[in-house]
Amino acid sequence: MELRLTELRDGESGIINSIKVSRGGGQGKRRRARRGWGFRKRLEDMGLTPGTRVRVVKSAPFHGPLEVYVRGSRLAIGRGMAERIFVEVKR
Amino acid sequence: MTKNKFTIALAGNANVGKSVIFNQLTGLHQHIGNWPGKTIEKAEGTLHFKGYTIDIIDLPGIYSLSTFSIEELISREYIAVERPDLVINIVDASVLERNLFFSLQLLELETPMIVALNQMDMAKKKGIIFDHEKLQKLLGIPVIPTVAISGIGIYDLLEKSVEVIEGREKIKPVKAKYGKEIEERIEKIVRMVEKTQFRYPARWVAIKLLEGDEEVEKEILKINPKIVSAAEKLAIEIEEIHGHSCSTVITSERYEVASKIAKETQEITPQIKPPMRERIHILTTNRILGYPIMAISLLSIFYSIFTFGDYTSGLLGDSLFGLKPIFEGIFGIGVVGKLVWGGVMEGIIGGVTVALPYIIPFYFILYFLEDSGYLSRIAFLMDNLMHKIGLHGKAFIPVMLGFGCNVPGCLGCRIMETTRERLLAAFVVTLVPCAATTAIILGLVGAFVGVQWALALYFINLLIIFILGRIAFKTLPGEPTALIMEMSDYRVPHMKTVLKQTWFRLWEFIKMAFPLIIVGSLVIKLADVMNLLKPIADILSPVTVTWLGLPSITGIALVFGVLRKELTLIMLATLLEVEPMNLAQVMTPMHMIVFTLVAMLYIPCIATIAALVKEFGWKKAWLITVFEIGFAILVGGIAFRLLMLAY
Repeated sequence: MELRLTELRDGESGIINSIKVSRGGGQGKRRRARRGWGFRKRLEDMGLTPGTRVRVVKSAPFHGPLEVYVRGSRLAIGRGMAERIFVEVKR
Repeated sequence: MTKNKFTIALAGNANVGKSVIFNQLTGLHQHIGNWPGKTIEKAEGTLHFKGYTIDIIDLPGIYSLSTFSIEELISREYIAVERPDLVINIVDASVLERNLFFSLQLLELETPMIVALNQMDMAKKKGIIFDHEKLQKLLGIPVIPTVAISGIGIYDLLEKSVEVIEGREKIKPVKAKYGKEIEERIEKIVRMVEKTQFRYPARWVAIKLLEGDEEVEKEILKINPKIVSAAEKLAIEIEEIHGHSCSTVITSERYEVASKIAKETQEITPQIKPPMRERIHILTTNRILGYPIMAISLLSIFYSIFTFGDYTSGLLGDSLFGLKPIFEGIFGIGVVGKLVWGGVMEGIIGGVTVALPYIIPFYFILYFLEDSGYLSRIAFLMDNLMHKIGLHGKAFIPVMLGFGCNVPGCLGCRIMETTRERLLAAFVVTLVPCAATTAIILGLVGAFVGVQWALALYFINLLIIFILGRIAFKTLPGEPTALIMEMSDYRVPHMKTVLKQTWFRLWEFIKMAFPLIIVGSLVIKLADVMNLLKPIADILSPVTVTWLGLPSITGIALVFGVLRKELTLIMLATLLEVEPMNLAQVMTPMHMIVFTLVAMLYIPCIATIAALVKEFGWKKAWLITVFEIGFAILVGGIAFRLLMLAY
């Protein structure tokens, strides 16, 4: 099933389906729906591309960022960004 | 080739040991400056090798060559436009896949390149074995295994660099091949771009246009807008085939290539027992224990810096002030003597007693924490709190340094990625009460009005930081802030590199700040000698007396305070002609509260202004300065009226 990365339990892993950044409005005719473009690019540049396995190690308390393990390295991702990463999980 | 002067650029991800290699190569022949027109640090160095003079440029540590941060823009512009003779790509052998993703992008810039496969020791500890011959073959360029911290492989690296530059070793760099449907479209754009004589390689431009890179689009629009619209159409076609945006597809495929190379060239034996660095990581990021560990480490760091700083500062001050009779002997005690001593020398003493005892240890700690990897763990723990003031976890460090001294705080803001984040963090830092401000709050309000009032002022200050931080966050244009950060493995920092980093940055700061401090101090002394203090106080009186309800002479103390904040109290006493402990005879509690409030909120000191100028340029530095002075006066006046009502 598809879940947000933030909904995964500690230690659980999933395969990235997509990163949704443009709030409403779909793709748009010209690719000018640039809201959040930079941050999606950033996440993808860090290795969080669709089809990649990502494991949530833990999250910092008080709704803090997530510690994830991807492509052999450890990343910290702010919760706001992590909420927009959708992953396929087997439960 | 008859040239005997070369330029080599070092490029690589953050935390791969790039600065260690830079220091190993250049030793003490370094120069830290800024990139022209940018506020990004540029480290350059020279070395002599086999009769050649080689300039080494240390490019910023980045993960990609897109337009996410200024560092990425600077790096790609430098490589494509300045065309260094060689790029050494430093790769962390223990995180090969991610690093190769960046290597592939460098190769797309079609620059002569070799790879330093660094941190081989770390990789070995992680149970990774390399076939570096194969890596060499797959990339088509030389790969030299190195362990920078012990100097292993550095000589080979240089030797191979020279061979490649001399043309004795031919390189045939690979190009990452994308899927057929993408390659066809790249080809179409390449044919159009080739005719334009653009300064970047045509294939690179084509890929960037498909990715929707704003900077490249802007430039190509100027040359031939048809290319951009054609590329947009082609990108949409790719999107329709894959169901993902074109930039996502290209990034994924590039990662696939990197992943394939990594799999073919390394063999990983998983470890049974978690190593020490892993256990420290788990402990320091633990939900419960992480915070007390952080608090204890930071408090002990602060405590030792202040103990050390206080002692050294006093010692330096005493011995430098001991020179006074000598100066008076040479320059007399007339106008010249007063200007030389009170203007120039006291300015220098002020700078020295702040710079050496406080800024050195703060810098040292900053680099130490960064190099060891603890900085990223602190950012992880504090991210949520910092979001409340519109920043993210990484900003906690500069803000925390600001409580000690705003200067290293402002300079420490360069750990943030984008200009916007840097500026926001620096703005918050200048509002943080530094040690000298805290001394005023405690020494004036705390001692004469009551500790609860001192605490209230401190609380008001934090509240103001929160409110102004949020307003600045909402009003500054640009994308919102979010934390996306690698938490690389813990390691023992390379002391020599940390020390050199501290030293060269301190020197940069001294060159920038001291002239400003001396001129400022000279101007005020000049005003004093020419008996202009009273007239100045009178000119300021509409603000000080009418608006703030303070004694007129306090205006001078506030002006002086910009130079030496820690002397504000002594100055105040001197100007009011009482002993410091008898300040209550001449100032009412209300005076004290309003005065402290203004001193707390207006621009911390001239050294902070210098730091802002260095990091953000004159315009932004003045903007922040003028705003904070205005804001402090506004708040002071409102407080005065509110207190009047209450009494």
